[in-house]
Amino acid sequence: FPEMSYLSFFCLGPGAGQDVGRSCILVSIAGKNVMLDCGMHMGYNDDRRFPDFSYITQNGRLTDFLDCVIISHFHLDHCGALPYFSEMVGYDGPIYMTHPTKAICPILLEDYRKITVDKKGETNFFTSQMIKDCMKKVVAVHLHQTVQVDEELEIKAYYAGHVLGAAMFQIKVGCESVVYTGDYNMTPDRHLGAAWIDKCRPDLLITESTYATTIRDSKRCRERDFLKKVHETVERGGKVLIPVFALGRAQELCILLETFWERMNLKAPIYFSTGLTEKANHYYKLFITWTNQKIRKTFVQRNMFEFKHIKAFDRAFADNPGPMVVFATPGMLHAGQSLQIFRKWAGNEKNMVIMPGYCVQGTVGHKILSGQRKLEMEGRQILEVKMQVEYMSFSAHADAKGIMQLIRQAEPRNVLLVHGEAKKMEFLKQKIEQEFHVSCYMPANGETTTIFTNPSIPVDISLGLLKRETAIGLLPDAKKPKLMHGTLMMKDNSFRLVSPEQALKELGLAEHQLRFTCRVHIQDPRKEHETVLRVYNHLKGVLKDYSVQHLPDGSITVESILIQATAHSEDQGTKVLLVSWTYQDEELGSYLTSLLKKGLPQGTA
Amino acid sequence: MTRECSLLLPRVCAALADPRQPSSDDTCLEKLLDWFRGLTKCDPTVNLVQDNPCLTEFIASVLALPEPSPSILSFTLRLAGILAASENCFQHLQQEKLLVRLFGRDGPLNSALWEDASVRSGWVEGVHSMMHHQPALHFLCSGGGIDVIFTLQGDPSLFVASAASQLLVHVLTLSVESETTKPPSAKDCDWPACAQMIIKRIEDSLQSGSASHIEQSLKLLTHLFGSCHATWTEVLWLGIAKQVESFLMEETVQAQPMLANLLLNMAWSPVFCDTEGSFWALVTSALEHLTPVQVGPLAAGVLRLYKCPQDVRIQALTVLLQPMDCILRAASQPLEYAGLLDESVSDPATVESLLSSKSSCASLLCQTLAHLEKLLSLIHLPVDLPYTSLLRSLMTILQFCNGCLSPASPLGSTISRILIDCFRVQRSALDVLAALSERKCCDTLVGSLFDVLLAYLESPNSSPTVLKKTFQATSKWLVHLQELSCSNSQWQQTEKILKDVFLVLQKRLCSPCWEVRDSSLEFLTVLIKCLRDQEEFRQSLLSSEVPRLAENLLEDPESYVRASAVTAVGHLAFITYFAPESPVLGNQYNKENTVAKLQEILSTDPEGFPRRAVISVFNKWLRQGCTGQLEDTEQFVSRVIQTVEHDLDWEVRLGGLKLVEVFCSQTICQLGLSQCPYAPVTSAVTSSVHHNESLQILCRAKVFSFLFRSLCDCDKPVGQRACDILLGLRSGFYPINAPQHSQGTADSPAGHGMAWLQRTLRQGSLAQNFPTDGGNGVDFQDPESMMLALGTIDLEELHDELNKSSDHVEKSPQSLLQDILATVGTVEENEADCY
Repeated sequence: FPEMSYLSFFCLGPGAGQDVGRSCILVSIAGKNVMLDCGMHMGYNDDRRFPDFSYITQNGRLTDFLDCVIISHFHLDHCGALPYFSEMVGYDGPIYMTHPTKAICPILLEDYRKITVDKKGETNFFTSQMIKDCMKKVVAVHLHQTVQVDEELEIKAYYAGHVLGAAMFQIKVGCESVVYTGDYNMTPDRHLGAAWIDKCRPDLLITESTYATTIRDSKRCRERDFLKKVHETVERGGKVLIPVFALGRAQELCILLETFWERMNLKAPIYFSTGLTEKANHYYKLFITWTNQKIRKTFVQRNMFEFKHIKAFDRAFADNPGPMVVFATPGMLHAGQSLQIFRKWAGNEKNMVIMPGYCVQGTVGHKILSGQRKLEMEGRQILEVKMQVEYMSFSAHADAKGIMQLIRQAEPRNVLLVHGEAKKMEFLKQKIEQEFHVSCYMPANGETTTIFTNPSIPVDISLGLLKRETAIGLLPDAKKPKLMHGTLMMKDNSFRLVSPEQALKELGLAEHQLRFTCRVHIQDPRKEHETVLRVYNHLKGVLKDYSVQHLPDGSITVESILIQATAHSEDQGTKVLLVSWTYQDEELGSYLTSLLKKGLPQGTA
Repeated sequence: MTRECSLLLPRVCAALADPRQPSSDDTCLEKLLDWFRGLTKCDPTVNLVQDNPCLTEFIASVLALPEPSPSILSFTLRLAGILAASENCFQHLQQEKLLVRLFGRDGPLNSALWEDASVRSGWVEGVHSMMHHQPALHFLCSGGGIDVIFTLQGDPSLFVASAASQLLVHVLTLSVESETTKPPSAKDCDWPACAQMIIKRIEDSLQSGSASHIEQSLKLLTHLFGSCHATWTEVLWLGIAKQVESFLMEETVQAQPMLANLLLNMAWSPVFCDTEGSFWALVTSALEHLTPVQVGPLAAGVLRLYKCPQDVRIQALTVLLQPMDCILRAASQPLEYAGLLDESVSDPATVESLLSSKSSCASLLCQTLAHLEKLLSLIHLPVDLPYTSLLRSLMTILQFCNGCLSPASPLGSTISRILIDCFRVQRSALDVLAALSERKCCDTLVGSLFDVLLAYLESPNSSPTVLKKTFQATSKWLVHLQELSCSNSQWQQTEKILKDVFLVLQKRLCSPCWEVRDSSLEFLTVLIKCLRDQEEFRQSLLSSEVPRLAENLLEDPESYVRASAVTAVGHLAFITYFAPESPVLGNQYNKENTVAKLQEILSTDPEGFPRRAVISVFNKWLRQGCTGQLEDTEQFVSRVIQTVEHDLDWEVRLGGLKLVEVFCSQTICQLGLSQCPYAPVTSAVTSSVHHNESLQILCRAKVFSFLFRSLCDCDKPVGQRACDILLGLRSGFYPINAPQHSQGTADSPAGHGMAWLQRTLRQGSLAQNFPTDGGNGVDFQDPESMMLALGTIDLEELHDELNKSSDHVEKSPQSLLQDILATVGTVEENEADCY
């Protein structure tokens, strides 16, 4: 059986449901090796933040081993290790991602680099130049475009929702295929549509299962909650700080606030502190086709990303009296402007900070989220946090219902769950196996799963052979399978069924004939030629439809079968019949020998 | 362990062992282990277990749980291992019978939890940490642990399998080195019990005939010989050498790929490389019998060895160069071939068949090229490679790849058909070509080499990556060509090549693909950096359209390209406006225009890269003394710092500070105050007049307001740099004795302002913003105030503080313990959400 091996590695187990692991999966399919995603773990600042690529191959270079790398979307747990992999580990082969991902990925990488190198003694981290060099190697792909990586390997991207530019990828070699979902979302949200894939019936579907058992309350609810909290704070004259990273969640929340401000006719200013906002919004405008229908429709009248109420922030504004909402970077409150504003506002209970994302242990963000209210800043001052602290998740992953829906759409032969908690995945696995009757796997981090496929291999048949074969027997019937005989030729990566003669000709081979022989002993004291005559008459009588001939040299032929008689060297009363036949007359040959073995009937003249 | 931590630890342990609490973030547990590891490492005598009874209680209570979570159990195993690394703690945990329950037969080993890879991994890691003393060794060997580890070598989890293999190496080494009084010798193989057990298992599995067991043992030996270079490894080897040797010929066990790695590690070990005869005979045999793909790494590795018999070296060289030789032969007529290799020592049939097969041709070539590149990157190479033939072979490969060469020979035409448009091979070949430029090659080939390179630069089929690599190779060879033409006066050839290169560069600068425009600009910058002193280079460049096109790209829609254009234009300035013998250029190179354009980018570009590029160009100009006379420079610097001080990108602000640093030292030393590394003019004049003058210059240029504001920057590197510069300035202005900090504050001329400044800085400079105007009395342009500020502010203390807390991610163990405790009682988990 052709074997498709799948190696899941470095998808760190999600501790406490906090899935910030390093997504990095290796798939071997029909001899091709593809790496899916190349994520980093933001919780560490040593070697542990990147996958250990030395496990990929112990022999030889990565560039020679891997046929390509595919990045599903721009989140750092899916692409954060890419510059490290391509510029520091030394992978020099092709990298694929969608156009928006290619445009946005470097912004996030750069953002993360800046806050990382800010830390003292930070080594072994990529530089700005490395991010650029890495992005220059990336080949951007369009949705539904079949990209030929090499002669045998092709990939195709499908819309995944989740974030701008997120894609699921189909990887295909010959007739074997794998679909990797990355992170996806089966329900449309405020600015993105729902994931979609055609009925491609892959041998394996690798799907994320972050919310494997959760049926999440609708995102609408969470959004309403968010707006209510912001509104209340602003109404009572408080300030709202929303620490974000440059791109992604920030844009989504901006649309939310902008629309709300417009509807409610609110006057409190909204500021965006990062200098990257213009570029971010530029990309949302540029890739408008990747957003959902509503945004695309209204685009003609008003561009959702041209904000009326949201202005650029200047650090002097933080001291202004009165209510305001500020989006500031970085998202974990551990450096830069967001921390500076937080320090100014923390002491006032009227104010509020809303954390929309994961915070690494050790950061101020992590501390306040875990409920700490007295923070020691730089080892001496105590900062008392009186402002309200809210955590809000807006992440868009498929829930159990969504995962089942995708399986129904794609009709895979096997399913593999990644990115989830073991217990929850176990439940989903059973559900999938029951409902779809397919095998479902959930390998641990670092484990390899091997799946055997049973591919149907297309074979071309030569016209000559087809004509000859159909000429024999009845007219072809579409409902009945027909057996055909020919020679299977495997040449230049294709399979062809041709007639033996044509095969010999094409391959320049000489024909050898294989004959089967058998000796049959007959008790007959007569002379040899008389015995032969008796055999001849006997056969002629039995095999009426065949051409039986008695040749002048004393032998008999029945079609291609040859019969010769000799006297036994020791016993003249026994005659030995030597029967020989070709492969084509196998049936007749064995019939004849069994016939002769029964002996000759008495009275055959 | 600090008192605070030891007070927090019992509560943390209780929380972790409580199954009702949500499990902690993985990273917290990892960091907790890091902390314990650090504690035992920095004081091996510390008895953590005795000092903190809560640790024993924790382990016991996890073991008592009917169904502990795999992550807590794994953590417990690893923690126990770390603690048991010290013999005292080990004994203590033994007495409590905890180690047996964790690592022995009755532990997780025989429970359903063993199914979980994290538990198995925790077990292996725990045992590994523990193995530092003989009691631990005995514990492991007597409890059947060795068998478990041998089984784990075949674990479905790669991590566990690899950790098990490394653990065996560690245990074996520990056993031999701690349990024997005299080193084992070939005659007297008196291995200690534990080592004997392991060696026996290795020998058995090598003889087992099972492919997986053989592979595991070979991996183990590879680890061992790679990490341990003690003489006893040779004794071990002698016992198994015959068996291992037999694998070379046996195709059924498929151990060949492993053998190359094993032999390579051995060759690097001083134990084996000094031996006469048998080992090297085995290497030679491997070089002969393994396939070219399998043996490539071994051949390349052997070539890097200084201590290696000459015949082995030749053999390795033959193996490595055979594909290159084959390419040359395939491309040439039989008679004209002057090969790379002596045919008598090489059998090309295998390589020829690999190269004429579609599935293996590219991979064999790529592997060979990668090895060659690595060898060429070594400064001292123990062997001489046939550089000229290599160059010819590389050119042939590149011509096969772009379809410029399709030889008549059957082999040649097959290979050329396979290689056409093969990006993988193109990339590798160009890398080697670039590396080869540093070696002595036959100069007559240079002309045709540039034909090949130019064909690549011109071809519409070249992918952006291939183009980038072609640019890299071209720039290296152009430098080489320049050196050549200096020595043999072949100016005409050089001129022609340069002209062609700039023609194609012009085209590439207008490419619709930003990657190509960017690589073209980078190429231009590299060329100017290396060749700006060469007259014919300058001539060719300036007579082409390249400078104008580069300037146009300052307005490119792609920010990366704008940044590269800034850098290129910045370098171009060295041969246009700043060149002492600047050619007559007419109006097209207007210095003011360019400076104004760069200034505009610095103040208005919405993205960081171009602005960073501008500030770094300005720095370069200032360092090289290109910005004109002092007054000019003063205005220039003043303008720049006013632009960058509000920049949102801290790296731009940092760049501004670097500029200020250079300006300050140039100003000070130009006026003769002290030594300056960047001074364009050195002067010996020293006087207080100059002293005041330079202070005035710095004040006028608004340097002080920038520096003091930066002390309060929200990004720390900026504050640190500003503080460093202020310290430097103080030592410039107070060269002998720094003034006492007690020197008047309230009654000083700046009075209130200075006191305020000090208070602000003392109260935590980073917490507050500096005032935006001089409303409360600090006049940053007043030399006297600034002199006083320098003298009175305790910059050393500030410096220490800024360096002490270099980031806001709290790394102290105390904070970690507090964070773990803080999550206790959180009913609702915060859901995952990544950026």
